[in-house]
Amino acid sequence: MSDVATTAAGQALGTAASSRADAATTTRIRVRRETAPYASPYLAGVGIGVVLLLAFVLMGRGLGASGAFSSVVAAAVNTAAPSHAAGNVFYTRYLSDGAANPLRDWLVLEIIGVVIGGLASAVLAGRMRWTTERGAGITDRRRLANAFVGGTAMGVGAKLARGCTSGLGLTGGATLSVGSWLFVIAAFVGAYAAAPLLRRAWR
Amino acid sequence: MMAPLYEFGRFGDSASLVVAVLLGIAFGWFLEQGGMGNARKLSGQFYFTDLSVLKLMFSAIVTAMLGLFWLSWAGLLDLSRVYVPETFIAPQIVGGLVFGAGFATGGLCPGTSCVAAATGRKDGLALIVGMLAGVFVFGEAFPAIGHFADSTARGAWTLPQAFGLSYGTVVGGVVAVALGAFAGAEWLERRAERPARPMKVVA
Amino acid sequence: MTADARRRPGIERALAAVAVIGGVLAVVAGSPARPTRGSVDVTELARIVEHEEDHVTAVELARWIRDDKPRLRVLDIRADSEFADFHIPGATRVPLAEIARMPLDSAATYVLYSEGGTHAAQGWFLLRARGVKNVFFLRGGLYEWLEQVMNPHVPSTTPQAQRDSIRALTLWFGGKMTVVDSASTVPSAPDRELSAPHKSDARESIRKIRRRAC
Repeated sequence: MSDVATTAAGQALGTAASSRADAATTTRIRVRRETAPYASPYLAGVGIGVVLLLAFVLMGRGLGASGAFSSVVAAAVNTAAPSHAAGNVFYTRYLSDGAANPLRDWLVLEIIGVVIGGLASAVLAGRMRWTTERGAGITDRRRLANAFVGGTAMGVGAKLARGCTSGLGLTGGATLSVGSWLFVIAAFVGAYAAAPLLRRAWR
Repeated sequence: MMAPLYEFGRFGDSASLVVAVLLGIAFGWFLEQGGMGNARKLSGQFYFTDLSVLKLMFSAIVTAMLGLFWLSWAGLLDLSRVYVPETFIAPQIVGGLVFGAGFATGGLCPGTSCVAAATGRKDGLALIVGMLAGVFVFGEAFPAIGHFADSTARGAWTLPQAFGLSYGTVVGGVVAVALGAFAGAEWLERRAERPARPMKVVA
Repeated sequence: MTADARRRPGIERALAAVAVIGGVLAVVAGSPARPTRGSVDVTELARIVEHEEDHVTAVELARWIRDDKPRLRVLDIRADSEFADFHIPGATRVPLAEIARMPLDSAATYVLYSEGGTHAAQGWFLLRARGVKNVFFLRGGLYEWLEQVMNPHVPSTTPQAQRDSIRALTLWFGGKMTVVDSASTVPSAPDRELSAPHKSDARESIRKIRRRAC
């Protein structure tokens, strides 16, 4: 069906095809068809800014995300192969000599909160959907593959840079850290460079 | 009362984990409210059709940045106790480029992928798995590339230090750049909405 | 895609106005607070100490003062009363806490001294942590100044030219040189073993890395 969308037969056909594609891939868990509109990105941004400021005021640190993934991986490697983990400086940084559970970590708890908050917001707005967000130009499977590959690249990139858009972009941005601003600029450059290759995925 | 509260011993480690969850909930809430849990909306940034990512991130950064400055000026916050992400010039630029490419490919970042997954998006889940894989790959490769990852360190280097300007001047400059970027974003979005080509409008 | 977001232009404009005000006032305000965090390159510092580039001798300092070395700031780290009793000409009294906070002159050459040299060495470390490069301390402290400049005991075997030079320097500061027979020995300040710059302040700079990246 997605092939129809990409033929030269016309965009109009493409629109119809994508609706059919959407209908075929979604299983709504809410009866409500209308979903509430998103909030203004400016206001949502200011909201996040206040949360970020609260983090600084309460904890002396900002928000983050990628660090939680590292803790999870380190914990997994440590469980599966403790001696291997112990010999690798990257993992030991997250394991603190087995004194504490590596998952008992500020960022891990924060990410758990993110899941809860995102869930709550979507439930109340009627935006819960068991689906795959993609353009009509590709299949579900292709989209999921892209997501996996993109995630892998971000995992590597975030560890190299010691942060991601939350930790470096938001926290480093607000504290005017040079490396963070460099990271964000580089990330946008990398994204805009890769985007043309993926145009079909989102249309 | 002096902030950061945790740094001044106002509460302990266990309470800080509760704080983490609560801040995370608010973070995730606002991310979902802003539509950042939806990869299709988010990727609009890289095709200049929907610049919510820029608006949201920059709004958050400006809000927290102004908050840090003025709370510190008022003597309520000890800025020297606030964590500034360290600068590693080369790894953060390279990491940023790789991260950005992954961002455009996956359509979500580490934090927003958790929001997406929480709201039922399979691509969010795929991205999370990809991130874990990426972190693992990095961890395994660390003995080889650790040297690069630790190179060109500059410590907690801030923009005021780098430019030789006062903190306040940089703050004002960032606000100016942000507002300019917002104006540009509004213009780009209006241009995208004009039907130069038939655009598929999805609710 | 943007049609799916609810916009509130009124609130957004109000927030933008707040941001503009906040930003403009920030430029006026300049600095949020005196930065209290310093950082050190320990390898570089170790090298400096090892090469003895961290201190000056009393005679060197005396020459700098006499020759009116530009932008020389001599700082006395002792108590008020001690300073009032006697201090090196041209010195200003600055307690260690002030050293941590005082405004810095990037073109100046700072020389710190205290009674024996320990406090001055700590002050040296603080200024290095604050980013000052041209800073030295008097390793033997005031003792060295008194012994080498104000009241030097010069062995009779010293060449005449050197003796004249020392005498001139001493007289300039209102001191008195004494020539002694080489048989008698006087312990000189530089021979005293003094501790290297204190590492206690490195604690503050190198924070506990419990918080990992982001």
